[in-house]
Amino acid sequence: MESLNFKLLEQCSKCGACYHICPSCLNLEGYDPRAVIKDVLAGQHEKWLSHKSIWQCLECHHCLEICFQHYGFENTMAAMRTLAAKKGMTPPQVKRGWDMFIKTGKLGEPVAPARKKLNLPEAAKSGAEDFKKMVKIYREAKTNPNF
Amino acid sequence: MKDFAIFWGCTIQTRFPFLEKSTRMVLEGFNLPYRDIDGFTCCPEKSLVNNIDHGLWILTAARNIALLDKAGVDLVSPCTGCASNLATVNSELHSNHKEKNKVNSILNEVGLEFKGNNKLRHLVPFFHDEVGIPAVKNKIIKPFNGMRIAIHYGCHMIRPSHALKNDDPLDPKKFDNLIRAMGAESVQYMTKLLCCGQGLDRIDQHENALHFARLKLKELRALKVDAMALCCPSCYLQFDNNQFLMEKEGEKFGIPIIYFTELLGLAMGYKPEDLGLDSHRIEATAFLEKWQRLNGDLSKTTELNRQLEAGFGIAQL
Repeated sequence: MESLNFKLLEQCSKCGACYHICPSCLNLEGYDPRAVIKDVLAGQHEKWLSHKSIWQCLECHHCLEICFQHYGFENTMAAMRTLAAKKGMTPPQVKRGWDMFIKTGKLGEPVAPARKKLNLPEAAKSGAEDFKKMVKIYREAKTNPNF
Repeated sequence: MKDFAIFWGCTIQTRFPFLEKSTRMVLEGFNLPYRDIDGFTCCPEKSLVNNIDHGLWILTAARNIALLDKAGVDLVSPCTGCASNLATVNSELHSNHKEKNKVNSILNEVGLEFKGNNKLRHLVPFFHDEVGIPAVKNKIIKPFNGMRIAIHYGCHMIRPSHALKNDDPLDPKKFDNLIRAMGAESVQYMTKLLCCGQGLDRIDQHENALHFARLKLKELRALKVDAMALCCPSCYLQFDNNQFLMEKEGEKFGIPIIYFTELLGLAMGYKPEDLGLDSHRIEATAFLEKWQRLNGDLSKTTELNRQLEAGFGIAQL
């Protein structure tokens, strides 16, 4: 995750133009990204890490498109999720999805019997092995402070 | 047209192989130069992987794009999430050389290099821009004239626009143009651009996911549309499967969810069962019956038009 731009977030905390287009702001009770942003600016973001709100951003990018700074509050919500995940505070399904991704490089595999029934050709080979090799190299590289 | 690889993504191949079927039938019907290439992984899904490890999100997408560089082909995906994620990373790496070098230092060790020289597109804008409306019209033998279809774009077909650059992100037109080219009315409705809300099912908030599905389905039920058209497996899951679950609990909507490729395939004259329409959880029977009936009526008006075009009326003066 890239670092947050606090100067832009100052504007976000006073603006709220995206509240009129954000699907979660319009439809989910208690979903209020500016409350999160105000706490982030006050150095009090910790309390949000266990809050369901930070996972309710649908990443539809409406806020980004309508934002006069081309920033949107999606960045803040993603940053909160990253911090929460680091502490192991993810919804169970996110954890299951992540485990599968790391293990197989995918979120599911082609189903051979269904393909046969539909007369579909054999699915192309997955890059799982190369992916796992790449993840290993990446994790080693990350331990190097100059990376 | 340049050859292109099809990027199926995880969801279509795992859960909805019939959507792969209709996509292949349509691509072959148009004689388009597509191929499957080995070695792809998950795109990967932004809302899952980027939240946990931004670096790995970038790297995995860059690896998929590097496979295109190696094969020298463009990419087309019938999944909005895959198209959007790959385009977003592609755009980020083109504007950040430091990050690109980092990525390549790792990719080089697995025999790949990210160049990002090829086009990455979603199937719908691809049909609009590359195949073109006139070519689409030429292939239509059973049009949808008289049918009222509500389009659900799916957020990631068009956003983020700085990466996808394929339509107006707040007032898109291309899917509408394609539906009209098939003869249907594209019904305009209040919640047209609302997110499907399927993401909430992936964070264990099923009731909220259903709330979002309801918002659209209720409006479309009131407008008495014949079907909803979309081209994203995640949105399809939300509106077909979750609608089915609500119907089981006694909440009736009756809105068939038709994939772009199924709609096009039907208009091209392919049989519904060959396209996999019998695999849907929400039955499309009423939609198909109305379409067959209108096409029967249409052949009469076509005869009238043929006579008009031949100058029949004028010749009698």
